[in-house]
Amino acid sequence: MDLTRFQAMSQAVIDGDREAAAALAREALSRGFDAQAAVENGFIPGLQKVGSLWESGEYFLPELLAAAEAMKAAMAVLRPALEAGREAALSLGKVVLGTIEGDIHDIGKNLVGALLSANGFEVVDLGADVKIDRFISAAEETGASIIGLSALLTTTMLGQKRLVEELHSRGIRGKFKVLVGGAPVTQKWADDIGADGYGENALAAVRAAKALTGRE
Amino acid sequence: MPDGQGRIDGTMSPRVKIQSEPRKELSCPAGAVLGESLLNIGVPLNLYCGGRGVCGKCFIEVVEGNIPEAENQERRLREISNLPEGFRLSCRLQINGDISINIPPASLLPQMPVLVSGKSRPVSLEPILKKIVLDVPAGSPGPQAKAVLSVLDSVWPGLERGLSSDIDGLPVRGSPPSGPSAFTAVVYDERELLAVEPGDTSDRSFGLAVDLGTTTLAVELLDLADGRTIGTAAGLNGQASFGADVVSRISAAFGNPSRLEELRAAVVRSLNDLIGGLLGRTKTSPAAVYEAVLAGNTAMNHLFLGSSVDGLAVSPFEGNFRARPPLPAGGTGLVMNPRGRTYLVPNIGGFVGGDITAGLVASGLDELSGVFLYIDLGTNGEIALKKGEVFAAASTAAGPAFEGMSLSCGMLALPGAIGKASYRDGRFAVETIGALPPKGVCGTGLIDLVAASLEAGLVTPGGKIVDPARRLPVIGTISLTQQDVRELQLAAAAVKTGIRMLLESEGLSVADLDGIFVAGAFGASLDAEKAMKIGLLPRSNPEKLTVVGNASLAGARAFLLSRSERRRGERLARRVRHVALAKGGDFQSQFIDALEFKEWT
Repeated sequence: MDLTRFQAMSQAVIDGDREAAAALAREALSRGFDAQAAVENGFIPGLQKVGSLWESGEYFLPELLAAAEAMKAAMAVLRPALEAGREAALSLGKVVLGTIEGDIHDIGKNLVGALLSANGFEVVDLGADVKIDRFISAAEETGASIIGLSALLTTTMLGQKRLVEELHSRGIRGKFKVLVGGAPVTQKWADDIGADGYGENALAAVRAAKALTGRE
Repeated sequence: MPDGQGRIDGTMSPRVKIQSEPRKELSCPAGAVLGESLLNIGVPLNLYCGGRGVCGKCFIEVVEGNIPEAENQERRLREISNLPEGFRLSCRLQINGDISINIPPASLLPQMPVLVSGKSRPVSLEPILKKIVLDVPAGSPGPQAKAVLSVLDSVWPGLERGLSSDIDGLPVRGSPPSGPSAFTAVVYDERELLAVEPGDTSDRSFGLAVDLGTTTLAVELLDLADGRTIGTAAGLNGQASFGADVVSRISAAFGNPSRLEELRAAVVRSLNDLIGGLLGRTKTSPAAVYEAVLAGNTAMNHLFLGSSVDGLAVSPFEGNFRARPPLPAGGTGLVMNPRGRTYLVPNIGGFVGGDITAGLVASGLDELSGVFLYIDLGTNGEIALKKGEVFAAASTAAGPAFEGMSLSCGMLALPGAIGKASYRDGRFAVETIGALPPKGVCGTGLIDLVAASLEAGLVTPGGKIVDPARRLPVIGTISLTQQDVRELQLAAAAVKTGIRMLLESEGLSVADLDGIFVAGAFGASLDAEKAMKIGLLPRSNPEKLTVVGNASLAGARAFLLSRSERRRGERLARRVRHVALAKGGDFQSQFIDALEFKEWT
C-alpha cells in the first residue's frame, strides 16, 4: 500500500468522513492489502492528528465525535480481516463505562466511549444513572480490566468514591482499575478517593486508560 | 516531629493576619482551609466554583509564613491569571502555621448594586392584603378589644382569627374612650385577620416584591393603596460565597444541614440589607409592611426557607415542594411586620421555578391565543411553550457563560463590563455599562463579540478562532480565548436544543410560533439580532420577539398587587407540564448538531 493511500485513510478520520473511511477500508481489503497495516499506518495516525487538533483548540466536540465515528466505521470493516491473534494484539482491553447513579448526563461519557473504542478498547457502555452494583457486576461478568465512571454534578461524583469503597469492601479492589471523569472531577478528587486514573477530557481519558493497561 | 521552638504539632492554633482590607486577624485549627476560615469571619471571598479549586477566582497573596507547594492545577490557574508565585488559591490552602496575607479586591465578591427592571402588562389593583377601617361607637360595652372584634364580626363575619383569637395579642387595650374611635383591621386574602391597628392607617399599607435571583437580588417597595412603586434596591446574593451557580449551592447544602442553614441565613441577610436600606431611605416603617412576594427558582425557594435541596441534587431532580402556603413573616426573618406574610411564587416542577411562573404571569402568556415561547436565559436556561391550552416547560443547563462569570475575562453585568460590541475597520468597538473604562466582558458582550467575529471571519461557524494564537484581542488587555468561545457554544447549544426538543414534543416548529419572549439576567440589553446570528435564538421576525428583561420581578409585583393575578399564576403553575429534556434519547445528537454557530429556523 502506498503512502498516499495511508494519507487518505488518515484524512478520512481527520475529516470525520465515515463513508470515505469505510470505503478506503473496503478498498484495501479488496486489493488484498494487509488490514493491520491499514489500521496502524493509515487510520490510527489520523486519530492521533485529531487529538492534537483538539488540544490546540482547533477541533471541538462535533469534529471529535465525527472522527471517532469514522474510525469506528473503518474498524468495523477491517476487524474481521485481522489475523487471529492480531485482533487480540490490537485490542487494548475491556472497559465498563457509565454515568453514575443519580446523574443522567451522558454526552461526555459517550464521547469517552467513542474515543476509547476508536483507539482499540472494547467498551461495555452501561448508559446513564447506573448503580454502583451494576458497574461491579458488569465488570466481573465481562472480565473488564477498567471501570470508567462519569459524573457531571458535584453531588453525584460522590458515587465515584463509593464505588472505590465498595470494591475494597468486597475485597476485589485489585481486580479493576478505576478511571474517573466529568466536569466537576479533578485530579485531586481522583487522588483523594483512590481512583487509578483521571481524564480531564475525553482524550485525556483515553491516555489515562492506555497508561492503566500499560499500552501507552 | 519534636520541636523545641515552643510549637507542638496541632496543639496551637495557627494565626492568619490579613494585611489588606478588612485588616483582621484570625486563628483557626491546624489544617483548616484558608478560604473557609475567611468565609467564617465574614470576608466576602469569591468562591465562585464553591471551593473546588477549579475557577481560579479566590487567589490571595501569602506575604509571610511557610506554606505547602501548590498542586499542578493551581499552578496552571496562576499562570493563566498572570500572577506571581506567592499567590495561592485560598480554597485549596491548608493552614499549618502562622501566615500573613493580602486579599486582592479581584478575589472578593463585587459589591456594586445592579439595578434591574422588567416590563409587564398593567394589572388591576386589588391587593390580597386589605386594610379595613372599623368605626367603634362610643360607649361600647366591655373591654375595647372585644368591642373592636364585635364591630369586625358585623362587617366581616366568619373571618379566621389565627392571630387574634387571643385578644390580649391585639394592640388594643383598656376601656373604650368616651367618644367614637377608629381602628384598622389588616385582613389577608379575604379570610384571615393579621392584626388590628389603632386609628385609621388605611393609607399606610405597603408590600415588597422580590426577585430572588441566584446571582442578583432585587427588591421593590410598593404602596398597596395606589399600586405605586416607592423605591427599588438591588444587590448581590450573599450565597455567592458558596458558589456562583445553582448547582454549586445545591452541592454545598447537599446532605449538610448546617451548611443549608448558612445558605438560608446568607440570603436572608442580603435581602434584609436591601429591605432595611430601602425602608430607611423611603422613611417607611417595617411595621407597615405586611406582605413580601418572592419569585425565585426552585433551588432559591428551597434555600430561602432552609428546606433541604437533596432532592434537587440527584436525578430525577425534584424538590420538597412545589407551592407553600403564605408563611408568617416572623418565621422567615425578613425585615417587615412579623405578623405579615411571606409568599413564594409557586414552582412549576424540577428546576423550573417560581421565577418562571412569575415571568409567565408578567408577560401574560396564558391569556394570549396562539403559539408562544418564553425563554429565560441564566445559568439554567428555562423554556416554556404555550399552544392553546397546552403549557410545557423545560430546563437546560446552560452554565454560567451568559452571566459572564466563567470567561477568562468575564464579569457580571456591572459597571465597566463590555455589554455591547461590533467590529469595524479591523477592530472592535465596545460599549461598557456606565461608560466606564472596560474591565471585562459580560454575557451580552460575549454574544456581540462572537457574532461580530463570525461576520468578520475571525471565528469559524465551528467556533474556531482563526488566528493561530487562538485569541481574539478585544481592547486593552481584554481578549477572548478559544475556551471562552467554546463556553458560549455550549451554553447556546443547550438553549437551542431545549427550544427544539420542546417544540418537537408538541409537534411544532419555529415557523408555528406567534411570538417569543426573552427574559433573564441580560435585562433588556440583549441584542436579539446578534443572538439570532449565533443561533442562540431562532431566526424570526423582529416583531415577534419581545425582550422582557427581569420578568420575574415584574411578576412578583403582579402577585403582590392583584389577587386575581395571583390566582391566575397559581393555576398556571399547576397547569404547566414539566418536561425532562435530558432523558429524551435524541438529546445528544441534537446538542452536538446545535454547537455550530449558525442561524436556524
